[in-house]
Amino acid sequence: MTPPESPPAGTAERSALDFAGREPALLCFVTAVFWLLVGSIFGDLASLKFQFPDWLADSGALTFGRLRTAHLNAMIYGWSSLAMLGVSCWLIPRLVRQPLAWPRLAVGGAMIWNIGLLSGVPGLLAGATDGLEWLELDWRFSDPWLVLGGAMVGGALLRTVLGSKVEHLYVSVWYTAAAFVWFPILFVIGNLRVYTGVESAAVNWFYGHNALGFWLTAINLGAIYYLLPKVLGRPIHSYQLSLVGFWAFAFFYSLNGMHHLVGGPIPTWMITTSIVASGMMVIPVGAVAVNHHMTMVGRFGALRYSPTLRFVVLGAISYTAVSLQGIFTAFVEVNRVTHFTQWTIAHSHVGVYAFVTLTLFGSIYYILPRLVEREWPSASLIRWHFWLSLGGIAAYVLALIVGGVLQGMALLDPARPFEESVTVTLPWLAVRTVAGLVLTAGHLVFAWHIALMLSRHLRRERRLPPWHEAQPRLYEESG
Amino acid sequence: MFASSLAVVLLTLAALLGAIVAFAWAWRKGHFHVDARAATLPFDDHDQRVARPWETPSQARERVQAHGPPLPPGPGEWGGA
Repeated sequence: MTPPESPPAGTAERSALDFAGREPALLCFVTAVFWLLVGSIFGDLASLKFQFPDWLADSGALTFGRLRTAHLNAMIYGWSSLAMLGVSCWLIPRLVRQPLAWPRLAVGGAMIWNIGLLSGVPGLLAGATDGLEWLELDWRFSDPWLVLGGAMVGGALLRTVLGSKVEHLYVSVWYTAAAFVWFPILFVIGNLRVYTGVESAAVNWFYGHNALGFWLTAINLGAIYYLLPKVLGRPIHSYQLSLVGFWAFAFFYSLNGMHHLVGGPIPTWMITTSIVASGMMVIPVGAVAVNHHMTMVGRFGALRYSPTLRFVVLGAISYTAVSLQGIFTAFVEVNRVTHFTQWTIAHSHVGVYAFVTLTLFGSIYYILPRLVEREWPSASLIRWHFWLSLGGIAAYVLALIVGGVLQGMALLDPARPFEESVTVTLPWLAVRTVAGLVLTAGHLVFAWHIALMLSRHLRRERRLPPWHEAQPRLYEESG
Repeated sequence: MFASSLAVVLLTLAALLGAIVAFAWAWRKGHFHVDARAATLPFDDHDQRVARPWETPSQARERVQAHGPPLPPGPGEWGGA
């Protein structure tokens, strides 16, 4: 193999596309990591309350109800959403061969989104909550900022898609662009203060489940459909199947939310329809799972070489796992045992951590060096981060699944006192606390590594050539 | 029967309608008439040519035959140090 005399075709164009979206993407990633740390601390404190219920009990802001809500919102709207905005600002321009339109608008949007969080999350600790799951952020002081900020970033991205210079929209663009249409509508509708009673609960879970699907899932599936083939250097196994998966997802997913209310006081036909739709999710989930797996077949050795691939493949496997677990949980016989138990917490963490967060970690490991034109300072820190994440989430989920089933069985047994349904979970909740601390340790490693990398960037240490992905090492050697 | 569920029924129908409209638009625009090039949109010349150390000799040979002489990977080529 000989060093090329000039960068290979396409790499200069790619660098230019990356450059246009660099500022908003960097801002989103840095602030996302800030919220990841904040959310982790809230999560750990909330979990420790199960072992030390009287600890910090004198402060209203640090009671379980407020800490847990602040943890959820910091993770969903802080970490996950901001990281997804960053990934989108980088991914869309590459796939439509068009620089990010209105990058300053996107930067402004990311800043405004953060303002919404900076007013909303402390507000939750102070007791200002809308009182609906996933919609707790204050509708007066926080939600308007999120709507405005999201619209600004989304506007820049959708304008970029409309200016596409390619004939075909790649499947990742379908997922990502659709998310920026679905989510604002969902968020505004979910936050309207016109629903009361049972209807409010139904709309709440229509929002909650669809935010998980049409926002978190859509953008991360888009990222996986890009990164898997990109690292492996081979196209996705069946492109047609990927489109079947997307459209089946678009048609069936919106019907799913009511399965959260199995056993609740809402019309039976709604629950039944939702359970049937949940079962039909086998089609898009199967399409995605088969496609990802078949793309990897014969190339699993790549996991040794690519940290990005390790995170992303685990994320893809977790997508299949969380979807199948969700379908399974929707069935009445299973739901009877698992409803109101720690099983639900395990399920949400398979989704938002094992699938979404691991995919975002992998994406950032791939994207950030290309934005700052510097390599990650330490392979060892990436390994630490990976094993802490994997070990932490595996222990977390297994403990809460077992604890949740035991809790559900105790709740259903009329011969056992209610107290037993609580005490039976305690050892598993202790494992959860340790697992949560392990995850936080991984996040600290990740944040430290990013800080190291960006400090070199800010000190303007030697940059890699602009076509960084081409052959930076070869230029050094040939010189 | 519908009193407590009208909002969700309407919202679900709206979501479905939106998906159907987008599907029809994509169909008319020819987005489903995909050929082999569609799946290769993420790649440029460099991606196709760079040698993957995990590939078997036959996989590497296929890559060379399809895309030309191999290029060595740069640092961080696969995402991460």
